[in-house]
Amino acid sequence: MAVEYLALLKPTSRARRFQANLIVFLAAVATLLAFVPLAAVAGYLVSQGAGVINLDFFTQDPPGDLSATGGGIRNAIAGTFEMAGLATVIAAPIGILIAIFNAEVGGRIGAAVRFFIDVLAALPSIVVGIFVYTLVVVAQGHFSGFAGSLALAIIMLPVIVISTEEMFRLLPRPIREGTRALGLTRWRTYLSVFIPTALSGIFTGLLLAISRAVGETAPLIFTSLGNNFFSTDMSEPMQALPLLIYRNALNSAYPAARDRAMGAALTLVAIVLLFNLLGRWLVASRRPGGRAGR
Amino acid sequence: MVTATDTGLVARPAAEAARSDKALSPDAVVLRLRNVDAYYGSRRVVRGISLDIARNAITAIIGPSGSGKSTLLRCIDRMHEVVPHARATGLLEYRGIDLYDRRIDPAAVRRSIGMVFQQPNPFPTMSIFDNVAAPARFNGLIKGHGAAADVVEKCLKKAALWDEVKDKLRQSGTSLSGGQQQRLCIARALAMAPDVLLMDEPCSALDPVATLQIEQLMVELKASYTILIVTHNMQQAARVSDRTAFLTMGEDGAGYLVEEGPTGRIFTQPSEQLTEDYISGRFG
Repeated sequence: MAVEYLALLKPTSRARRFQANLIVFLAAVATLLAFVPLAAVAGYLVSQGAGVINLDFFTQDPPGDLSATGGGIRNAIAGTFEMAGLATVIAAPIGILIAIFNAEVGGRIGAAVRFFIDVLAALPSIVVGIFVYTLVVVAQGHFSGFAGSLALAIIMLPVIVISTEEMFRLLPRPIREGTRALGLTRWRTYLSVFIPTALSGIFTGLLLAISRAVGETAPLIFTSLGNNFFSTDMSEPMQALPLLIYRNALNSAYPAARDRAMGAALTLVAIVLLFNLLGRWLVASRRPGGRAGR
Repeated sequence: MVTATDTGLVARPAAEAARSDKALSPDAVVLRLRNVDAYYGSRRVVRGISLDIARNAITAIIGPSGSGKSTLLRCIDRMHEVVPHARATGLLEYRGIDLYDRRIDPAAVRRSIGMVFQQPNPFPTMSIFDNVAAPARFNGLIKGHGAAADVVEKCLKKAALWDEVKDKLRQSGTSLSGGQQQRLCIARALAMAPDVLLMDEPCSALDPVATLQIEQLMVELKASYTILIVTHNMQQAARVSDRTAFLTMGEDGAGYLVEEGPTGRIFTQPSEQLTEDYISGRFG
């Protein structure tokens, strides 16, 4: 009796206890370590870039001469939103439809499509930029925000397809069987049951795709080129935050340019964070019982 | 599909006829199965099932695990073939129509022959109201919001759920208890105005109180619908059904029909030794 009881007790010797907790300790250390680069980048950006942030920074365009102080990054913020927005409008419906196709069509055709999407995902973004440059910029004879959006859309597409398809595959079997047993047509099933049920996952996928798109620099160099002025015309060259950061950072010998680059980098990170929070709020408010369910 | 049986006038004799030992008359048969086989790829899982299902009665399909009961059920509403490489052969007639004829639309079959699953599966993003109304509306059975409200009330009443949810129709379908969710799924199936209701172990995931509610519901529903229930719970079959079919797995790994008849006789005077053994718990 006494022997069994002893066998059940937690280890009491110091060495045994240390051994038991070692893995937990190592995992905690690794987690903290992972936060270090995040904290370092955030801290660095805030300390270097906060100084230049004020209302003018968001409402004015940069000066023609990078080395001059003053001005802002309004055109870059606007351009980033405009191009990412158009890219999403192009890529999201196509991506979701491809995901539906993949989820429904099995066999060799489905596998082939999935393979090509994986290849597209692995394509270097500079190659995408050159592709759109040849196809659109050269054909049209000028750089444009539209070409930039197209390049971003191509980059976003595989991210959307892969995450959306995963969401559909994760739909619980009772839901999938239930819709079939009710005799619903496939498109009606996707439109009214599967997409709403998978919506939070689809939104997350869209956000991942947008986050990737707004940070891309190389494809925009060949397509939207950049612009010193604010523009809403997609057929003109357009400025974007990564482009502005790039050009100003190249000239960071000038303190004004360096400060501008830091401020723009901080803004870019803040925008990505904003997209994330917005997406979560939108999905949460859609549930029935939240806002009046549809 | 509105039939004379909806009035309940024809129902009582139909159930009584089902419980008698006499052969079922042709107009009392709503489903005819002749030599039905079911396969997953090249593996046969159901062999040679020949069975008549009586209308306005509850028929229970019992048998040990692996005897092909659920597979057989899914052949009836053409859900079996949804699995890749799955197929069914043989004659499956519903009111004289060959359900596997090339010209028949499987989705249309599933609207006339509804199914309720073991795991209640209300649509999580829809309210209780929409859960009942939406599928019927999508299939063109309801037009307009007023008509939808009528159908929702009628079906929730038929499913014995109306009183419990009438004040919270806009709440999520998944906010209900297990038994309530299952009744919601039944209401949803009823909104499609089916003729036959297939139930695949509908009470397995429910507590005894909810099980009793569903069983009482089934007895009420048989006045207007034909019910086919697969259950591994023999006592449930004995309580609830008018006729019972006993399936078991043969040596070839395929399920086959051992015996079928009025529930009273099957449980007290089975013709086959195998049936006797199963019912007295010697195997299964």
